[in-house]
Amino acid sequence: MAEPLSAEKAAEKARRIAETDFAEIVRRHQAMVYSLALHFLADPAAAEELAQDVFLQLHANLGKLKSEDHVRFWLRKVTSHRCIDSKRRRMPPQMSLDEGPEPAVPSRTDDPLLSRRLRQLVASLPEKPRMIVILRYQEDMSAEDIAEVLAMPVATVKSHLQRSLALLREKVTRTIGEVTI
Amino acid sequence: MTVNDDNRMEDALRDALCRREAPEGFAERVLARVEKRSFSRRADLHLGSWLGMFRQPLLRWTALAAVSTALIVGGIEYRQLQREPAEGEVAKQQLILALRIASSKLQLAKSKVQHSQDQNENQEEKE
Repeated sequence: MAEPLSAEKAAEKARRIAETDFAEIVRRHQAMVYSLALHFLADPAAAEELAQDVFLQLHANLGKLKSEDHVRFWLRKVTSHRCIDSKRRRMPPQMSLDEGPEPAVPSRTDDPLLSRRLRQLVASLPEKPRMIVILRYQEDMSAEDIAEVLAMPVATVKSHLQRSLALLREKVTRTIGEVTI
Repeated sequence: MTVNDDNRMEDALRDALCRREAPEGFAERVLARVEKRSFSRRADLHLGSWLGMFRQPLLRWTALAAVSTALIVGGIEYRQLQREPAEGEVAKQQLILALRIASSKLQLAKSKVQHSQDQNENQEEKE
């Protein structure tokens, strides 16, 4: 018969299991959290630091999260709010977005010039519209989901999206012209 | 097709803002920070539980009484140690004085003996 574990050993075993689970959660969501921060801050070093802080906060709150969907929602929410708060305190970005890592999925338009210009234009948007655009096009989220993450009315999200798209279209046309995609 | 086309513009944005891989070793760095924080939290808890003992009134008063007693006894000992050299100095001065008096008395006795010896010798010569 197996010897019963002492309270200390049982706690240590539980801690190890929790850490293995946490490592798996980090690996599953690291690209999402890092990319949100990178597209928002346009600074790979600052994006990594912010993403690490988000996961540290997740570790402290893991007991309160009930499902995989809840974890994803929580990560998007905390990352978005941290990005908006940090941008208000930070200096302008030190590096271009193009110095960051390779895309996780291959490009569909195959136009690096247009992609680079769009990233620069998105990075120049005000904080909230910028995060709305990033959540919409990086995470493919609906206006309703974005509204929930950013705790703002759906109508405000839709209005920011429309205005940002119009602004981006106008600026990209002015600088690149009638670009064939 | 041009970027004026709404759908194409949205596709271009999806491409521009597609997810990027996190830097190499990102997860390991996060786990190392978690481990470091957990360790310091455990150390804080250990210290906290030790200090927590003093939240009990009986232990707090006992500790206060022990510290006060130690301070009083230490103060008395210190005063004693300071006083000892002063007493030694007085004793030394008294001893020196006593030796001087004894020395002068001896000198006096010697001179008297010498004087009486001289008188005896003179008397013998006369006889």
